[in-house]
Amino acid sequence: MSEGPDLLIERVRSTLREAPGTVPDPRRVAQLLSVVWESPEPSALRRWLDAWRVPSLSGVGATVVAGIALFAGFLTRGAVDERRAPEPFAATGSQTGEFPVQFASATLGETAPVLTQFVLDDAKAQRVSLVGDFNDWAAGATPLTRLESGVWTVSVPLPPGRHVYAFLVDDTLLVTDPRAPKSGDADYGREGSVVMVFAR
Amino acid sequence: MSMHRRVLTLVSLALASVSAVPALAQGPVVLPIADAKARVAVEREIARAAARGLPVQPLIAKAMEGVTKQATGERIQVAVASAAKRLEQARTLLAPSTSVAELTSGADALAIGVPGAMLKQIRAAWPVERSVAMPIDVLTELVARGIPARHALEQITVLMARGATPSQIASLGTSVQADVAAGLAPDAALEVRARGVMSLLPSPAAAAASAPSGQRRP
Repeated sequence: MSEGPDLLIERVRSTLREAPGTVPDPRRVAQLLSVVWESPEPSALRRWLDAWRVPSLSGVGATVVAGIALFAGFLTRGAVDERRAPEPFAATGSQTGEFPVQFASATLGETAPVLTQFVLDDAKAQRVSLVGDFNDWAAGATPLTRLESGVWTVSVPLPPGRHVYAFLVDDTLLVTDPRAPKSGDADYGREGSVVMVFAR
Repeated sequence: MSMHRRVLTLVSLALASVSAVPALAQGPVVLPIADAKARVAVEREIARAAARGLPVQPLIAKAMEGVTKQATGERIQVAVASAAKRLEQARTLLAPSTSVAELTSGADALAIGVPGAMLKQIRAAWPVERSVAMPIDVLTELVARGIPARHALEQITVLMARGATPSQIASLGTSVQADVAAGLAPDAALEVRARGVMSLLPSPAAAAASAPSGQRRP
């Protein structure tokens, strides 16, 4: 057997020797030592767990950690590809009056996503979201923020290329961008707006 | 530390590791098409496309576009089937390109009426390792603005041959967009803007001298 049991025996012996005013019963000591000595060698899993030095969690704690982790994973699902470094961007479209305004990356090259700002002036709307080929036309996936002026806006990183989009107002009304050229729609018969995105 | 607690902690951390990878947390795509029969048909169409090696994301986007535009299930089914067909045509025309961006751009060009032979010409204008998604997108946009496809293709392929970058070619598209919106005739807008981009490029001799051997043209 390894050094483990010997060290344990020594600790038992020294404890018994140092105990004031007690006379150990030799039979009890022998019995204890024989139990320790003859105990079966722990399994590989048990030895690995014994060697593991991470604080344990209670049943409730473990459940909470697992729940939080699953929730975080659910919230961030599908977000990996869109996480690109947003800096450093320089506004270039606003000076030329082009809409939607594009903020081009100065360092990430021709294929890097370009932060593109969309604007809709609709003070009466309660909710506005951006739908297009870049977000699978998913209603509510890209909500716009309402400014005090009643103008709605959102900036999203888009891959370079031609994109078709529209605004979804109050979850039901699909409207085109009055600032952008229109796109025909042979499939569904409802035109959208077009934005050409590229690194400037 | 009890064995029970250690196992619990291990399981929690394993779950945390798995859920930290968002892609793994995603379930199968569920298309919110109200018409159950159409939904099954669309899902089958997408599965068939996947089996043929076509990218399914553009097809899912096409189906979702129909949902958002409140199209009937039958119309969504037809639109997705047409989109799959165009993707397959684009793959043939743009071979050996297989990137999703190029196939999607090619399919969009076909949808707007760009002849398939023109996609082949654009593919041939650049080496195969270089994406032609942007030139195709610009061709599509120019045709959408009312410029004859042949005229637009001619200008784009000249720019490609002269060493224009995708951004320079894209700027041609946006400039023409703005000019047409301002009232300029589409053909005139293309001519003047193509000259503008051309003026930024090195002379043909200099471009040929600086281009890698695979890009040199006779």
